[in-house]
Amino acid sequence: MHISEGVLSGPVLATGAVFAFAGTGMGLKKIDYDRIVHVAILASAFFVASLIHINIGPASVHLILNGIVGLLLGFAAIPAILTALILQAVFFQYGGLTTLGVNVVVMAVPAVLAHYLFLPMLGKSPTLTFIAGFLAGLFSILFSSILLGLALWFTNQNFFETSLAIITAYIPVMIIEGIVTGFCVTFLLKVYPEIIPKKK
Amino acid sequence: MKIKKICIVSLILVMIPASLAFAHKVIIFVWVEGGMIYTESSFGSKKKAKNCVIKVINEKGVVIHTAKTDPKGNYSFKIPENIDSDLILKLEAGAGHLGQWKILKDELVSEPSEQDISTAMKKKENLEKKPSIFKIFTGILIIFLLAMALKFLKRKTS
Repeated sequence: MHISEGVLSGPVLATGAVFAFAGTGMGLKKIDYDRIVHVAILASAFFVASLIHINIGPASVHLILNGIVGLLLGFAAIPAILTALILQAVFFQYGGLTTLGVNVVVMAVPAVLAHYLFLPMLGKSPTLTFIAGFLAGLFSILFSSILLGLALWFTNQNFFETSLAIITAYIPVMIIEGIVTGFCVTFLLKVYPEIIPKKK
Repeated sequence: MKIKKICIVSLILVMIPASLAFAHKVIIFVWVEGGMIYTESSFGSKKKAKNCVIKVINEKGVVIHTAKTDPKGNYSFKIPENIDSDLILKLEAGAGHLGQWKILKDELVSEPSEQDISTAMKKKENLEKKPSIFKIFTGILIIFLLAMALKFLKRKTS
């Protein structure tokens, strides 16, 4: 899901950078003092997740975890994802520094939306909590794939073909992320309920 | 309860073959030998980039050759005639993944020396190297240091 250097056009990169900058500012402003540690924990999880490869038959996919980061952090997910993406670019050469803005938008916007869509379901019952987590994980990857397709389309490629190919390629990731996110939030609610944000 | 158990077992089964590996580092390794340009493309040493587009671009940005990698991630072709420029070989691995390698003009006309080969092999090894535990822990440490700095700033401003 990390777009490499040299793929996107200048205007797309600039637009991504502007949105990422604005989102990061808003995210930093909205982080509660008491939840900064939670932001660091989830940013670390996101940073490491892309190293975990899961083999499904002949294919191999990796975790992204933007769903759980967004579900639990809301707007604070934007600076968390930005920090993790910078470190992934510098230490692992995933994506790149010029594509950072677009990559932040692709992964953080669906994450923030997942927070507002699925947080109200958390904690109502174990089944609903799992479903909320599952949907947050699945939705985030689905929407990220669409944004990725859009970014490529704005550069020069055929949107429908590109998006369809990307969404198809990410279907296993959507399901796995959904299951992982579902189990994670159910588990966290039992052992560390403080990490679940209080509904306002 | 039964469904829950099935889900847990399925997840464990899916996670068993999980391993620390390359996620999406796209690598194209190129060398010149006997009038031919050879390429090896992968997402790390074991995962080959199959059926991916390779574009050969000259200094002016003109695409002078396009091809696809074979099922082993390899592709080779004869050095195009009348080339008087460095060449960039771009590997397009889909979904915004791109790797590239530059061949200098001089490399196209002369046979590589022992030193050139060893330098290129070192470059290849570095590209294919797995992320070290040290880098992973350094990254996590940086995240927590930034969080502490933010905590300090927030406390100061409030």
